[in-house]
Amino acid sequence: MNNMELSLVFFTVLSQAAIGLVILSSVRQLALEGPAGNVRMEWLAAAILLLVGMLASLFHLGHPLGAPRALTHLGTAWLSREALGVGLVLGLMVLGFITAREAVKPGLALAAGAVGLLALFFMGMTYAPPGYPALSNALPLVFFLLTAAVLGTAFSSYFAPAEKKPLLARILGVSLLVALVVYLVVPLVWLSGGTVMQQTGTAYLTSPLYWTRIIIGLAIPLYAIWRSGSISFWVPPVILFGELIGRVAFFSLSVHASANIGGL
Amino acid sequence: MRKQLGFYVDAKRCIGCFTCAMACKNQYLQDTGVIWRQVYPLKTEIYPHRERAFYSLACNHCANPTCLNVCPARAFYKRDQDGIVVHEQDKCIGCGNCIRSCPYGAARYNPVLKKAEKCSFCWERIDAGQQPACVLSCPVDALRLIDLAGFEEPNAVQYPPGFPRFPSLNPSVRFRVATTPTIIRRSRT
Repeated sequence: MNNMELSLVFFTVLSQAAIGLVILSSVRQLALEGPAGNVRMEWLAAAILLLVGMLASLFHLGHPLGAPRALTHLGTAWLSREALGVGLVLGLMVLGFITAREAVKPGLALAAGAVGLLALFFMGMTYAPPGYPALSNALPLVFFLLTAAVLGTAFSSYFAPAEKKPLLARILGVSLLVALVVYLVVPLVWLSGGTVMQQTGTAYLTSPLYWTRIIIGLAIPLYAIWRSGSISFWVPPVILFGELIGRVAFFSLSVHASANIGGL
Repeated sequence: MRKQLGFYVDAKRCIGCFTCAMACKNQYLQDTGVIWRQVYPLKTEIYPHRERAFYSLACNHCANPTCLNVCPARAFYKRDQDGIVVHEQDKCIGCGNCIRSCPYGAARYNPVLKKAEKCSFCWERIDAGQQPACVLSCPVDALRLIDLAGFEEPNAVQYPPGFPRFPSLNPSVRFRVATTPTIIRRSRT
């Protein structure tokens, strides 16, 4: 990766935020009693986030007009499956927005959540190539699930009714805590791996990007939620900023296997 | 086993002259920054001698090529007759997925064409009964064209130190490892 891949940063973070938002919305309306909140606007916001992310992803292509060709290798290419999955989720989000009244139809909410999770899985596999030994495993999927959980819950607070916000604050607090532990432990685990993994771990631990993400994107929001017991209005944008910084680190700090050819 | 062409890299003979890499560039007149064949010096932790040793590497035309598997636009195919992995640039959309995926750094980004590209094994020359440009140019015969279906070199290894080990890809390359340099001492008498 070795460069910032900004279009992919925006695509992955925004699409994961959108999928998380839809999943949290579905959970709120299906698993909890009481009013679901402003679900229609929530699904519209999710669709807009995803659409912006998909548009951003086009700038990553050398030939953006060739984007439809990315769907032609569903047999083995995770990127093709990712494009299909994300496209399907966008369709379900738009359908949910159009058909929703007080709430989205349960079947549609379930389908959007399930396809959203599948799209996250495809994304996790796409960004786990053999070329990056530190990432050629389940870690990208874990990172992406955490992003969806954290951002989905955070932005869900804008649309949830007041009586469900304390629960959202608890979910977000736990998600942030898990993310903090994962992001602090993973670079240390990499240090115990092979040469390229060690180089990746060292690059993370010595990078201001990584620590900025830890402090601004995870620690400060976690502290704010712990102190107030609620999700303040400023918390979701701060978490989004932290996720974007973290994703820049993901793409720019990971060391490619070929960088060590000729070495142990 | 079906015919599978590959490169035999003789690190004992290679002197790191880059003639193979230059021959490749001369053959295809590649744009600045595009390198299909690269000569990698072995680091001192592997070859701790004053004399240096090298691996001349390009695309390994793997038995299970990850570039082919991950390409969303089907821009790669593997030839049935000899196992060469061909990149069809007219189908490439420049997503860079092959570049990220290949652990050997074989696929490169062409900033002029905004597409990926890689060593073609000079398949046009192969079809015409000729050797690849890099093989033909090597002044010390350190680079050879081999068919892995009938290759029986007892000392050849697939993953020498300094060459990333990815058995799932099964790269079509074999090496003769560099040996300790001969030390000639002047007699005092």
